[in-house]
Amino acid sequence: MKKRVFALLLTAAMTISLAACGDGSKDPSGSGSGAANPGSASDGGATYTLNLAQSEFPTNWNPHDEETAYDADLMYYLQEPFYNLDFNDTMDGYKMVPMAAAAEPVDVTADYVGKYGIAEGDTAKAWKIQLRDDLKWQDGTPITAEDYVTSAKLLLNPVAHHYRADSLYQGNLVIYNAKNYAYSGQYAQTPMISENFGDEEYVDHDNFVVNDEGYFTTEDGKDVLLKIDAMGNWDPDNGMDVYHDSYPDWFQVDGVDVYTDLFVPNADADGYVKVNEEIYQALLNVVGNAQAGSFEAYEASAGDYAYHEWEEICYYGQSYPEMDFSEVGIFSLSDTELVLALENPLEGFYLLYSLTDSWLVKEDLYLQCESVTDGVYNNTYGTSAETSFSFGPYKLVSFQADKQILLERNEYYHGIQDGQYQTTNIQIDCVEEAATRLEMFLNGQLDSYGLAAEDMETYQTSDYTYFTPGDSVWFMALNPGMDALKAQQEAAGENINKTILTVKEFRMALSFALDRQAFALATMPTQSPGFALFSDQIISNPETGETYRSTDEAKQVLVNFWGLADEIGDGKMYATVDDAIDSITGYNLEMAKEYFNKAYDIAIEQGLMDEDDVIQIKIGMPNSSSSTYNNGYEFMVNNYTEAVKGTSLEGKLTFTKDDTLGNGFASALQANQVDMLFYVGWTGSALDPYGLMEAYTTSSYQYDPNWDTSKTDMTVNLDGTDYTASVLDWTYCIGGQAITITAADGTKKEFSAGTSDGVDEQRFLILAGLENAVLEQYDMIPIEIDASASMRGMQVKYYSEEYVFGPGRNGYQSVQYLTYNYSDQEWADYVTSQGGTLNYN
Amino acid sequence: MVKYVLKRIALMFFVFFVILTMCFVLVKLLPQTDPVQFGKDMNLIKMRREALGYNKPILVQYGIFLKRSLLGNDWGISEALYRGQDVWKVFVSKMPATLMVNLYSLIFSVPLGLILGIYSALKKNKWQDYLISTLIMLFISVPSYVYALLVQYLLCFKLKLFPLQMNSGTDYFTWSMFLSVVPAVLSLGFGSIASLARYTRAELSEVLTSDFMLLARTKGLTRAQATVRHALRNSMVPVFPMILGEFIGILSGSLIIEKLFGVPGIGQLYVNSITALDYNFFMLLSAFYTLIGLAAGIVVDISYGFIDPRIRMGER
Repeated sequence: MKKRVFALLLTAAMTISLAACGDGSKDPSGSGSGAANPGSASDGGATYTLNLAQSEFPTNWNPHDEETAYDADLMYYLQEPFYNLDFNDTMDGYKMVPMAAAAEPVDVTADYVGKYGIAEGDTAKAWKIQLRDDLKWQDGTPITAEDYVTSAKLLLNPVAHHYRADSLYQGNLVIYNAKNYAYSGQYAQTPMISENFGDEEYVDHDNFVVNDEGYFTTEDGKDVLLKIDAMGNWDPDNGMDVYHDSYPDWFQVDGVDVYTDLFVPNADADGYVKVNEEIYQALLNVVGNAQAGSFEAYEASAGDYAYHEWEEICYYGQSYPEMDFSEVGIFSLSDTELVLALENPLEGFYLLYSLTDSWLVKEDLYLQCESVTDGVYNNTYGTSAETSFSFGPYKLVSFQADKQILLERNEYYHGIQDGQYQTTNIQIDCVEEAATRLEMFLNGQLDSYGLAAEDMETYQTSDYTYFTPGDSVWFMALNPGMDALKAQQEAAGENINKTILTVKEFRMALSFALDRQAFALATMPTQSPGFALFSDQIISNPETGETYRSTDEAKQVLVNFWGLADEIGDGKMYATVDDAIDSITGYNLEMAKEYFNKAYDIAIEQGLMDEDDVIQIKIGMPNSSSSTYNNGYEFMVNNYTEAVKGTSLEGKLTFTKDDTLGNGFASALQANQVDMLFYVGWTGSALDPYGLMEAYTTSSYQYDPNWDTSKTDMTVNLDGTDYTASVLDWTYCIGGQAITITAADGTKKEFSAGTSDGVDEQRFLILAGLENAVLEQYDMIPIEIDASASMRGMQVKYYSEEYVFGPGRNGYQSVQYLTYNYSDQEWADYVTSQGGTLNYN
Repeated sequence: MVKYVLKRIALMFFVFFVILTMCFVLVKLLPQTDPVQFGKDMNLIKMRREALGYNKPILVQYGIFLKRSLLGNDWGISEALYRGQDVWKVFVSKMPATLMVNLYSLIFSVPLGLILGIYSALKKNKWQDYLISTLIMLFISVPSYVYALLVQYLLCFKLKLFPLQMNSGTDYFTWSMFLSVVPAVLSLGFGSIASLARYTRAELSEVLTSDFMLLARTKGLTRAQATVRHALRNSMVPVFPMILGEFIGILSGSLIIEKLFGVPGIGQLYVNSITALDYNFFMLLSAFYTLIGLAAGIVVDISYGFIDPRIRMGER
């Protein structure tokens, strides 16, 4: 899952995935007219070319290095995962089906007790995958299980640092020793104290081992390090110099500036300082100065913690020993039997879902593409037609950077014989301008067109237009951090106010004053208003396909958050919860004005604002050329300027923008560079809302860096008893960790809400509670739900009318079940007969 | 003259080195933040950066860059735009498309611009001059992307005279490829034609009213003889360097036109390399364009002497 910042260009490009659907009856040719049976490839020599266009192009589709959605898109044509999501029997949901695998994996944990960290009684830690016996490369060479093993070895090559190496050890699927092998022979640093800030992570001074050189190490040999250009868990993005410049007093210990006189001189070339007794003492004082003015004062107030807190800004340095690949938990038993030994048990849907990718590469070609220059590894595999090799449904026959991709059906692919993949060729052109893509589509040169904002008026009611819901919710993210706002307020000049953002009522007013429907129309008309943390597409029970939003708990969150809970029932405003939810628009100008007035009064009362102050909110944007962000900014300015009319803030609310932040603009709020972002959010975790919650509640991912979730309590009623723990702890709890929860009477107990691949009621309740807790902060305000609209070309016919999560409308890569109303020649004739321009209105 | 040229070349390399140093230091000073990725092992990225030497002091990195690129002719691997690929190879592979479109544009615009300018000057203050001048002002005032959009909509989409996009592939000298680049060539050429015509008209008009032209006519030369032999040559002194500049300009692509007509050229590379912080690409392009720009300055300066022998540089 990646932090995603939205740009219209990206959306437009992504809509190439044939998100639309239709039936043949809409076509002039009639339903199915002229269509060949899927798989009857030749049809007397007829060809069926799928013509697509996208605004950006892939650059590296090596399964070990691919990074972008464009890379992945091309890569998936050329490969086949072990398992994949396909339509269920009733075509209204998904089911997991084997692709490169011949059947579901078999638990063989018992066969490997004593090996790969497997103990007696363990289950779900070693799985045998039976591969199909007809897997072949595009030249007909058979693929064996050993090829997967070799490819895994190449992926984890410790010299290469492949971008996707972590696919074998990060997340649910953790292959035994995969990380150790990828790191072998290297020295890596990790923060001493994790985001959990677990009590057990802190080490007493006496428990450090002092080595021969006087430096601290742990009992298992890890170095204890300070880093000059980062502050550990305090602030991984800013160096100590930033703090030294801003707070020089912190670093004064007995009249000595320990930063310049002790830390910097002892730093190695990479900025790491090995901690010894002298540095330890200095760190105690630095932290004490920062927290209470002196270590003595801090010790008096914080007790033992004063002796431990320094560890939060330090790192462990660890040398990973050289390792033979045979110690990694992936090996073959025969040509068609592959075994994966895992560090953590994994089974059911999530096991299969973890295997919906493939790391297989053609070894001989891959090795030809390798080079190492001055110790820097490089590999050009998957960067051109010559350096690509397919075992998927299509093979790459030509690639011209930023211009055109030509794919041809791979006749050695077993799926062809199964009567699928009627598409014989795929041509993907790089066409940056949406207007040009539309002209090409109308000329019959494209089989799909992702509608842009300006097309909606003309085509949104077309029979050929289809809407595809997305799983992301877009937010308006606010920075309510007092210190940061104060600093920016001072820098902005006299009578400029920003600290009113710390007043919750002000943030609530911003939420209620935003007409989300109008905002979508002004920015991205395909979007729909967003009211909660998770969209309708987020699936909370992947085994059944049940969506989170369809559950009673999730519905209750919505009605509670939008203040409708008391309005539901007989004789009340809404008969049912669903009626109440349907009424939510997120826009209530009257209430917004009320909150603006309240916020002003509070700000004045608390001395945050003077009467002649003008509020200035700086909005961060990636660039100045995105119409989505430009229109959004204009909308925000006009909308809020109007909204405060008639309130105490009339004429006092202004906006500025920083549109130079580039692709990493989403980090600008965390870095306190701006006060507000919009169209930001998270994507890629549609099947795991429990894991996705970490994005909103853990400091590593939170947009608002100021909300300390470890200090915000949340109470959940479990089996009739109210239990309290921090928001952070509850988050880890639904991730499978055991936490300590406290009942109302003060009794404590260890509690875990299921495992990361399990679903139970309590886990669900906690998730809903967390969603509510995040929403109530009003620092991540949901504004829109991702969706796209595209038009289907008349040449093609879609398999499913409705969009289904997983297989979409046409199965794997949107081509598996795609059929054609016309062959290429028939299509050319038809377009000519229409005068060269088609009518899609 | 030789001494002057050598001196200019020496100075050129000095300036080249200074600019290159500044580019390197400035681009390295830009903060490089990785968008946070949920569940990603960010150590992999850090270790890659470490191996690439990105954590070394900037001057050390600069030393490595100079040694590898200028001395070793190895401009490195693209780390962002075309990941894993040799930046020089990518650059060279994209250059022909830009060259072709710009060259066709030049071939189309220079003669037309000169002819229109000359004709306008000869018909000064007549309706032909007014018509041409009005068109010139129109094409100079309107940004090229506006008539690029019009060309695409009218000629390509409505009338279907040309394809909407340039053909793919590298068969640059086929009729089909030529047809596919005509819209881009037209869009690029209009501005140049207008600009050249305006300069030519202005210079020629001035020369035509000079005393020596009167003398030439009184000596018995026909108007055509006087214009071709004397006026045109004199008026070309400021115009020719302009044409030379256009020739040099063919090495740099047009961001908008290439984007609109699907020309897989180098028009967007420079901007993209900065946005993506692709250091190796940025430095290659900086070096290339700096060198081309500096060399062009020298060539243009020297060209004055060839056009007008009265102009001599470097002599005391």
